[in-house]
Amino acid sequence: MDITEELTAVFREVFDDGTIVLSDELTANDVDSWDSLSHVNLIIAIEMAFDIEFKQSEILNFANVGELKKSIINKLEKK
Amino acid sequence: MVENIAYACLTKWCEKGKADKSVIRWINSDLTETDFSYLHFEAESNQIANTLQKMGIHNGDVVSVFLPRSPILISSLFGILKLEAMSCVLFSTLGEEALLDRLGNSETKIVITKNSLVRKIMAIKDSLPNLERILVVDTEEHKNDLVLSLAKLMEEAEGIFAYSHQTDSETPAFLQYTSGSTGKPKGALHVHGAILDIIQSFKEILQVEEGDIYWCTADPAWITGLSYGVFAPMATVTTQIQYSGAYNADNWLQILKDKEVTVWYTAPTALRMLMQEENEKFAIIQSNCLKRIYSVGEPLNPEIYFWGKKTFGQEIYDNWFQSETGSIMISNRPGLEVKPGSMGKPRSGIKPTIISDDQRPVAAGEHGNLAVQRGWNSMFRSYYKREDAYAEKFWGELYITGDLAYQDEDGYFWYVSRSDDVINTAGHLVGPFEVESALLEIEEIGDAAVIGVDDELLHKKIIAFVVTRNNLAWDKHLELKSRIYISNKVSTVATPAEFIPIEKIPKNQSGKILRRVLRALYEGKDPGDLSTME
Repeated sequence: MDITEELTAVFREVFDDGTIVLSDELTANDVDSWDSLSHVNLIIAIEMAFDIEFKQSEILNFANVGELKKSIINKLEKK
Repeated sequence: MVENIAYACLTKWCEKGKADKSVIRWINSDLTETDFSYLHFEAESNQIANTLQKMGIHNGDVVSVFLPRSPILISSLFGILKLEAMSCVLFSTLGEEALLDRLGNSETKIVITKNSLVRKIMAIKDSLPNLERILVVDTEEHKNDLVLSLAKLMEEAEGIFAYSHQTDSETPAFLQYTSGSTGKPKGALHVHGAILDIIQSFKEILQVEEGDIYWCTADPAWITGLSYGVFAPMATVTTQIQYSGAYNADNWLQILKDKEVTVWYTAPTALRMLMQEENEKFAIIQSNCLKRIYSVGEPLNPEIYFWGKKTFGQEIYDNWFQSETGSIMISNRPGLEVKPGSMGKPRSGIKPTIISDDQRPVAAGEHGNLAVQRGWNSMFRSYYKREDAYAEKFWGELYITGDLAYQDEDGYFWYVSRSDDVINTAGHLVGPFEVESALLEIEEIGDAAVIGVDDELLHKKIIAFVVTRNNLAWDKHLELKSRIYISNKVSTVATPAEFIPIEKIPKNQSGKILRRVLRALYEGKDPGDLSTME
């Protein structure tokens, strides 16, 4: 499974929406229920799915899914 | 008799030559903007009223609007009000169970929603015997007999709708759901006469003048967003900003600066979130057009007050009201010296008082129940289909707010805490029962209890104590599962910030959860008298 597929599975589980299709441009404004509170759930789920950790300063700084993916890839490469 | 709210906010101004006035400057999440005129909302709401009428909706029926903030939400609201049906605007972040509670209790006949939210309604529709139609705003074609395209129906509908501009002041207008410490959420019922207080309070407290640009950041599903984000500014021909994006410090500051906002109505949690941002971000608003700021939802603690006043260079006026009161009851405002941390003083005609548990007035400075003498126009008239719960909120002629407060010798009111178990988190009231019920639906959880504890950002954060079945170990996977479940079934705001596994939930002999014991446990304090514990 590539990162986009795995990340899509995480999004669908966190937001309980099997229709979510990820694109790099997708933002919190495009997904119902993606607010600052459910964002915490998303980050925890991503950390567990990819076995990585985000710093506090990183968590709120992703402008869109593309930036989130880049950060995941960087962390996986450093493992 | 009184003006129908839709007439007071919309039709009247079209008749008075303001049809083309840009009444809302709508800012999208990418900061692009569109101006909307009275005529836009008048025409769309007429089409929606005609559509609903054709479907058999008439006075007294409930139509719920389950949408994120958007122009079509506002048109829908006024279309419903023109029919003298009851509108019920619901947060688009509500989960299925929270939605079921509200749509079920209100016996909603029609829900207006968007395509991506239909699945939540479909998941519970078998438990909603009164639900007749789901109207979808962003789909071009009807899906089936139940799920129809509102866009298509509006195309076929007349843009003119004749309705009575005057109505009995007691005609039901809208339901505003709020949580209690026990049982399901209750729908505070408001009448068309409420508009009198909403306008009067807006003029007296917000004091918006011609030329001002007003921005209320609250969602219309929240009483602030409805009364002061839709009704009051539209009824007073105020030019206002609406922003459809989620909280984003950069965007908010950009809007304040670029849109030349002069009067800004927001919430303490929003100010606290801004306070956590880096100082450099605020360079953009070093020069701005702000004249003053208002805050509501939770107490504005002095630390935030002083930070905000220094950062934005203007006074911040905190105020207090509830879903049940419909309009501002107690407020700081221009012309009244601000005591930082205080709710301020009552507005004209409102008579709050502090009374003891044995219903006697207390002396200045003494804590007691904040109560308000009944009789103001925007007072809720009932909890919909819950007359018993409504009756419990009154001691004679006094509405008991559920808040504890005190009044100082100068007549200022000061919030102390809730008198019940309801948790005020980020300005939203969350009933512990709702969260506990949902937690118990998770197969690994055998028992659960939630409490609210102090939090620097949210005012109160939700803490869940959980007992696993069969001594199952509590781990991060189970915690994530529980977080996601609550977030999607109840709402994101109801998601506990922390989960604490515990062997047994402390209860008294009649099975009531002893929350004070849990609070003491969390805070590492002495739980006090345990003689009633099971």
